[in-house]
Amino acid sequence: MRARSTLRSYWGLSFRQLRARRLRVFLTVAGIVLGVGMICGVLLLAATIQRTFTDLYDSFYGKTDLVVSGSEGTGSLPASALGRVRRTEGVEDASGSIRAVTSLIGDDGRVADGRGSTLNVSGDDPGATDFTDWTTTAGREIEGGREIELEQSWAEANGIEVGDRVRLAAPAGVTGLEVVGLLRFSSGLDFGGEGFASMPLRTARRAFDKPDSFEEVEVVVTGDDEGGVQAVRDRLEREFGEGVEVATPAAKGEDVQRQLQAFNVILYFFAGMALFVGGFLIFNSFNMTVLQRMREIGMQRTLGATRPMVVRSVLLEALLLGVLGAVLGLGLGVVLALGLISLMRAIDFPVGDLELTWIAPAAAVATGLLTAVLGALNPARRAGRIAPIRAVLGSEGLRARPGPLRALAGVAMFLPGLAGAFLLGAADETTTPVVAAGIAGIIAIFFGIALIAPFLIEPLARVLSWPIRRLAPVEGRLASDSARSNPGRTAATATALMIGLALVVGINSLGSSFLNSIEREFDRSLARDLTVQPRGFSPGQGPQQTIAKGLAKEIERLPDAAVVARERLVAVPHLPRVRGGGEGPQGLLFAFDPAVYPRVDTTDLDGDGASREQVYERIGKGQVTVGKGYAEEDGIEVGDTLILEGPSDTRDARVAAIVETIFAGGQTVGLSLETLRDVFGVTADSQLALKASSDGARIQLEREVEKLVERDYPNLTVLSNDELKSDVEDQLNQSFGFFNALVGVAILASLFGIVNTLSMSVIERTREIGVLRALGATRWQIRRTIADESLVIALIGAAMGIAIGAGLGWALLKGLSFGIPGVSYQPPVGTMAGVAIAAVILGLIAAILPARRAARLDVVEALSYE
Amino acid sequence: MSPVPGDGAPAIEIRGLSKVYGSSETAVRAIDGIDLQIGRGEMVAIMGPSGSGKSTLLHLLGALETPTSGSIALAGRRFEGLDDRELTLLRREGIGFVFQFFNLLPSLTAEENVLLPALIAGRRDDAIAARARELLERVGLGGRASHLPAELSGGEQQRVSIARALLMEPELVLADEPTGNLDSRSEAQVLELLAELNRTEGHTIVMVTHDLDAAAVAGRVVFMRDGRIESDGLARGLLDWLRRLREELPLP
Repeated sequence: MRARSTLRSYWGLSFRQLRARRLRVFLTVAGIVLGVGMICGVLLLAATIQRTFTDLYDSFYGKTDLVVSGSEGTGSLPASALGRVRRTEGVEDASGSIRAVTSLIGDDGRVADGRGSTLNVSGDDPGATDFTDWTTTAGREIEGGREIELEQSWAEANGIEVGDRVRLAAPAGVTGLEVVGLLRFSSGLDFGGEGFASMPLRTARRAFDKPDSFEEVEVVVTGDDEGGVQAVRDRLEREFGEGVEVATPAAKGEDVQRQLQAFNVILYFFAGMALFVGGFLIFNSFNMTVLQRMREIGMQRTLGATRPMVVRSVLLEALLLGVLGAVLGLGLGVVLALGLISLMRAIDFPVGDLELTWIAPAAAVATGLLTAVLGALNPARRAGRIAPIRAVLGSEGLRARPGPLRALAGVAMFLPGLAGAFLLGAADETTTPVVAAGIAGIIAIFFGIALIAPFLIEPLARVLSWPIRRLAPVEGRLASDSARSNPGRTAATATALMIGLALVVGINSLGSSFLNSIEREFDRSLARDLTVQPRGFSPGQGPQQTIAKGLAKEIERLPDAAVVARERLVAVPHLPRVRGGGEGPQGLLFAFDPAVYPRVDTTDLDGDGASREQVYERIGKGQVTVGKGYAEEDGIEVGDTLILEGPSDTRDARVAAIVETIFAGGQTVGLSLETLRDVFGVTADSQLALKASSDGARIQLEREVEKLVERDYPNLTVLSNDELKSDVEDQLNQSFGFFNALVGVAILASLFGIVNTLSMSVIERTREIGVLRALGATRWQIRRTIADESLVIALIGAAMGIAIGAGLGWALLKGLSFGIPGVSYQPPVGTMAGVAIAAVILGLIAAILPARRAARLDVVEALSYE
Repeated sequence: MSPVPGDGAPAIEIRGLSKVYGSSETAVRAIDGIDLQIGRGEMVAIMGPSGSGKSTLLHLLGALETPTSGSIALAGRRFEGLDDRELTLLRREGIGFVFQFFNLLPSLTAEENVLLPALIAGRRDDAIAARARELLERVGLGGRASHLPAELSGGEQQRVSIARALLMEPELVLADEPTGNLDSRSEAQVLELLAELNRTEGHTIVMVTHDLDAAAVAGRVVFMRDGRIESDGLARGLLDWLRRLREELPLP
C-alpha cells in the first residue's frame, strides 16, 4: 500500500481525466495545435519578412541619408536632377544610379525559366563616393567599361566566378560583360533567388537604353543630426514638386512592407479560421464528454461538489488542453514558418532566414488558451447544471431537441454575417477595420450556420444517405439513424468540416469568376495575333523587364507583320487623381500609340458621344482614358481633369473616355506613349502586340518572330492569344493554390473532429453493436456501419460547405463587383465536385480507427454494457 | 456534521411528504403523504414492489430531489428553503451514498476514491488521509488501495463505496439497492459489513432493497406500496412470518 495517495486535490481530477483518455485528448487538442501552429507560423513569417526588408534596405543603402526617386518608385528622374540635388543646401554629396531588370543568358543561348536567371542591375558611377554597405568578397570593384560586379550567392548559384564573361539580356539587347568582382550585402541577405549586380553608369546607360535619366539619386547630408536630414528633405521636396519622392531608406523599406499588409492580413485570416475550427472541436468534444460523464458528475455532486466547482474543473481541463495544444502548436508553428518561407521563395518572393521573435509564440499561445477556454465555456456551464440525481439516472430522459429559438438566433447571425462578407468585397481598400469587419462577418456566417445546422441534419441525413442505403440497406439505415439520433452532435461535427470546405469553395468562386470574366474580355477585346513580352512578365509585382527598342523596328521590317503596337505598363501605388478628388487607388498606367493601337484592340470605349477615332485622336493630343473600375469608384466622368504627376513633369489631362475593362480590376489610366515619357520618364516597352498581314500569314509571322527573339532577345517570349490567356490563368491559380493550401490546415483539423465524434458514437452504441453481432452481423459489416455514419457526416459537411461557400463567394463577389464592374459570378463547379469527392475520402479515412474498435468489441461485454 | 450532544432529535424526521411527477391527468404520485421517523443508530430497510416509491423516498432523503409538499429534517435541520449550495454542503458532510452501480470514478484508485469527499471539501490533512486508509482496511481492502475500479470485482467496488460513504462521518448513510448487482457471496459480505458498521459504530443506515436477505440484516423494515407506508416494524417479526408463509405454500 502506498504511503500517500497521488491525488492531492479536487483540481487534480482534471489532470487525471485527461491522462485516462489519451487518444481522446489528442483528437480534441489537434484543432488547437493546428490553429496555434498557424498563428505562430504566420506571425513568425511576418516578422521575418519585416526583418528581411529592414535589413535589406539598411545594408543596401548604407550611409545614404535620403533617396530621391519617382513617386514611390515609379518612373525616372531627368539627368539634370543630380545637379539640382547637389546644389541644394545641406547636401554634402549625391550620386545617381539607374536600374534595370535583366536576364542571364546561359551557355546554350537561352534564358532559363524561373527567377534564378533574373538579375537586378544598378548602374553606378564608379568615380562617385560609395555610400553603400556592400563588401567586395572577391576580385575588385567596378572601375569602368564592360565590367560587372555580381552578388556572391547568385553568382555561386549560377556557377559564375571572377574572371568569367557573362551575357545579359538587357533592355537594349544582349550585352557581354566581364565579372571583375563579387559583392555581398552587410547583412548577408540576398533577393531570394534573384540576383543583384553593379556596373559602371556609362556602360549601363547604353545597355539599358537610358541615356539621360536616373532612377535614384542617393544623398548624404552634412552633419549627423536628424533635424538636418529632415530640413534637407523638405528643401528637396520643394525643389522638385509632386511627382518626386524624397525618403529615408527606412521609409522606403516600410513602404514595401505596407504593400505586403494585405497579404499578411489574409494569412492572419486563415490562421484565425484554423483556430476557430479548433475552438469548435473543443466545444463539440467537451459537449460529448460532459454527456458521457453525466453519471460521474452527478456522483461528484452527491459527494458535495458545488456547481461552480464542477464548472471550474471542466474549464481547468480545457485550459490544460489549451496549454498542451499551445506547446505542441509552437513547435508546429516554427516548422510551418520554415515551410511558408520556402513556399514564398518558390513563388519568387525574396525572404531571409527565420526571425524568432517572442511576440509570435506569446500571441499564439494566448489565443490558443483563450480559444480552448471559450470553446469549453458552454459545455462547462452545462456540466455545472447537472443535478446530483444524475448519479442514479445517468443521461436517461435527456435527449432534448434543439429549440426553435436557436434556429432564430442562427438566422439572426447568418444574415448580418453575409452582409459583412459583402462589405468586405465592396470595400475600396483593405484597411484593418474593414478586414476585421469582414472576418467578423464570415465568422458570424459560420456561427449562424452552426446554430441552424441541427435542424438541417434530419433532411440532409435522409437525402445524403440515400445512395448508401441503396447499396447496403441495413447498414445505411443504421448509419443514417445514428447520425439523426443526436442532431446536435452530428451538426457540430459536420459544421467544423463545413467551415474549411466553404472557404475553399468561396475562394475558388472568386477565382473562377475572375477567370471567366477575364477570358470573356480577352475574347471580346483582343484583336491581335501575337504578343511579345518578357518571360515571367507580371505587372504590379515589382520592377519588370523591358523590351529592347530595336526589336519593334526589326519586326516591322518583316513582310508578314502588318501592325506592331508598343505597350508600356507601369504599376503605380496611386493612380493620377481627378481634380478636386482624393488620392487615387493602386492601379496600372497603360500607354500605347493611339495611331496604331486601335488595330490590335477592340475594347469598348465610352467617349460620351465621341467616336472611337475621335477618342484616340484626343489621346494623341495628351488626353487620357480611365478604366471603369476607377471611374465608378471615384465618380470620374468624360470631360473631368486628371492631374498627372511624375518625376519629369506635372500636367493636367482631360478624360477622353471610360474603358470597359476588368484588367487590373478596372483601375487603369490609358495614355499615349508620349505623355508617359514626358511625365514619368518611361521610355521602354513592356509588350508588343502584333497583327499579321493576313490569316494565312499568321503562322509564318509567329515562326519568324520566334526565330528573331531566340537569337537576339532570349529573355523574351512570343505568345498566341490562347497562350496569353493560360498565362494569366496560371498566375491566378498559383495565388489561389497558396490559399487553398492554408485552408487545407483547417480542413485537416476538422477531420480530427470527425474521428472524435465517431469514437464517441461507437461507445454510445456499444450495446447496439453487441446486439447486432449477436444477431449474426460480421465484424466487417459493423465496420461498414461506422464507415457509413462517417460518410453521412462528411457528406453533410460537404453539402453545407458547398452551399455556404457558393453563397459566401457570391456575397464577396457582389461586393467586389462594385469596384470592379464587369465581373460576374461563376460558380466553381470543378472545385465543388472536388470538395464532394474529398468529403467522401475524408469520411472514409476518419472512420478507420473507430470502425476497427467497433468491430473488435467483444460481443458479451458489449451486450452487458450499461 | 455532528449532532449537538444531548440533543434527542431523531436522525430523520419526515412529515406529510409527497412527490408528484407530471401534471393533472398524467400526474404520478410517487410518494403520497407519508410520515416517518428514524432514530440515530438505526438500520432501516425500505422495501416494496417496483413503483412503490422506495427509491424516490431515498432520493428525497438524500436531497437529490425536492418534495412537492411536506418536510424532511436531518438531525433537526430542515431541507426546505435551502438553496442548491446549502444542500450541497449538507450532503458533503452529512450524508454518505452507496448506489447500486457506477459508484466509483474510473480514473482514480480505490484509496483516491475513498478520499474524494475530503478533496472536494478541500481537506488535505494527514488525519483524513489516515482515516481513509483505515476505512479501506476496515472493509477488507487494505491491500487493494492502489487498484483502479476496473481491477476490482463488483463486491469490492461496493465495499470501497461504503468506505467512502463513511469518510466524513456522516449523520446518515443511504444505500440504494447496494447488493442488487452482486453475486450471493459478495452480497453476504457487503451486508455483513453494513450490519457490523451499524452495530459497532452506530452509523444510521437507510437501505432500499427488494431482497429479503438484505432486509433480514436490518433492524427495521418499512414496507411501501403505491407511495405509502404499508407496514413499519421490526424485521424479525415480518421475516419470520414470510418464512412461515413460504413453508406453507404448496410448491410444485
